[in-house]
Amino acid sequence: MKYLDKYPKKFKGTGVIAPLGKVLRHFFTKTVPHRPVTILYPYEKEWVPDNYRGRPGLRFDRCLGCGICERVCPTTCIELVDVADDEGKMVKRPQVNLGRCMMCGYCAEYCPVDAMTTTTDYELAEFTRQDLIYDPRRLNFEYTTDMMEVHIEEHLMSNIAKGITDQPTAFYKTDRPVLEDSKCISCSKCAKVCPVNAIEMIVVGQNDKGKDIKRPKIDDKVCISCANCVIDCPKDALKMNEVL
Amino acid sequence: MAEEKMNSDKMWVTMGPQHPFSHGLWTLRVEVDGEIITDAEPEVGYLHRGWEKECENRTYNKIIPMADRLCYSASMTWSHLFCKVAEEALDIEVPERAQYLRVVADEICRIQSHLMWLAAVGTDVGNLTIFLWALREREFMLDLNVRLCGQRLTTNYPRIGGVRNDMPYYFERDCMRAIERFEKSLWDIIRLTDDSSIFVGRMKGIGYITRKDVANYGITGPAMRGCGVDYDIRRDDPYDAYGEMEFEVPVLKEGDAYSRYMVRIEEMFQSCEIIRQAMKKLESIPKNAPYRLKVPKCIPEGTHMARIEDPRGEGLMYLVSDGTESPYRLKVRSPVFVNVSASKHMVQGVRIADIPAIMAMIDMCLGETDR
Repeated sequence: MKYLDKYPKKFKGTGVIAPLGKVLRHFFTKTVPHRPVTILYPYEKEWVPDNYRGRPGLRFDRCLGCGICERVCPTTCIELVDVADDEGKMVKRPQVNLGRCMMCGYCAEYCPVDAMTTTTDYELAEFTRQDLIYDPRRLNFEYTTDMMEVHIEEHLMSNIAKGITDQPTAFYKTDRPVLEDSKCISCSKCAKVCPVNAIEMIVVGQNDKGKDIKRPKIDDKVCISCANCVIDCPKDALKMNEVL
Repeated sequence: MAEEKMNSDKMWVTMGPQHPFSHGLWTLRVEVDGEIITDAEPEVGYLHRGWEKECENRTYNKIIPMADRLCYSASMTWSHLFCKVAEEALDIEVPERAQYLRVVADEICRIQSHLMWLAAVGTDVGNLTIFLWALREREFMLDLNVRLCGQRLTTNYPRIGGVRNDMPYYFERDCMRAIERFEKSLWDIIRLTDDSSIFVGRMKGIGYITRKDVANYGITGPAMRGCGVDYDIRRDDPYDAYGEMEFEVPVLKEGDAYSRYMVRIEEMFQSCEIIRQAMKKLESIPKNAPYRLKVPKCIPEGTHMARIEDPRGEGLMYLVSDGTESPYRLKVRSPVFVNVSASKHMVQGVRIADIPAIMAMIDMCLGETDR
């Protein structure tokens, strides 16, 4: 062992002077010739790498308003609010209460379209608590690089058992809702809440009163597995099928 | 009874929560006879946040960043421990690359946690140079954390079934440079501590605990290894890739405060050795190898247990799941909570001025003690 082989040692009368000498030598060999370790903070700033997890940022035009970030947030600081987009249409976008945010980066990690990012912004002091609530427009962060986008690169356990190790995937690529036919009441609420319009209601027949019986048809390529339809289904007819 | 108390020369003195020796909100009530301590009673619980209860209405992946907050300086091991207990419940094995990445991250965390402790010891025994030098070296370890996980302390790096991200570019080079530099400067700090008869004189011969106390109180970690018990979970019950690492476990027989100090210093050198080996192994694993598994949201019904070698001792989590997305009960065994309960034995017979030196060796962390 590196340290325990040399210590504890017996003192030979220099037990007080030796450390003092060390500090003096350190002063002349390291402190004086080297530049200061500290920086003049407000004028000079510490360099942070691009993958630094500061406040969350939003790329407004990429966002779909699916609400995955709202559900995955451990401190429930994200809330979907109505805002007008560039064309004047009302859309739902995330609003972040930074007073509660613990910068875990889950919203950026789980976002299926990389609209939420982590940013290098860390100076977040404000004068009032109201100022800490960032609305979707204020959340916008212009400077983004590839390092800021954290992608989920999960591997399916079934794939690894087969020996396939070069197909990383994520929950929004594999998990799709499935319908339990007997429970469905043709209310078409799932089609209304779908943020990407992946659900189409198809008429499959008519009941005794002559009304149409409709069933949702899910487009697997468009679906982003946000589970809005699963949560909003009044009869629990839809269930998320987890591919493992 | 009351008359007896009135007539005796003994009195109870409260040290903390405002006393500079108590790192955090806790109190050590000591009974003194003149200046000799005859009895002691630690009081914890000022920082109780209901952590275990809060976990019960959160889903499993939301608990990982919360587990970071159990202890600010050993955040990596606590979130690692939670992921381990969930993996135990799901009965899955983590990919090889993730296992080595976790080992590297854990050992970086151990080094920076021990450096934080060394800085605290420096101020407790009145040497501010140790404090400054140790914290300066700690910055390099925190920079490695930023590169790897994106944040300095609350890392949120392990995930159930793997880790968050792979190593960034040039992380290996940065890591080896930091380790090499750290080993040199740790010798510099040792010149201030072990070569100083004042420092050693304040540490030696106080705060004795025996092997019997270790068994009776359940003391773990460096305090246990400092009194002759040769046990380390990393070696004796290996988890992740620790089974393939070759390292020595420092054990000393004296059982006083100085031996606990020495065990921790040697552990830092051994951690550097482990990081070197893990980095070498990571080179041989292909770069696009899987490092994260897709796991189900719900954990099957049952009770599960996992333990880990925290920088302060043995951390343990006990999980009762009822088949839903969130745990039914999550129990945390904090090493510091157990170790501090033995403080009555440690401080018996010493003087008041020795208490900071003895209690610094526990490496108090209130976040995990009170939960």
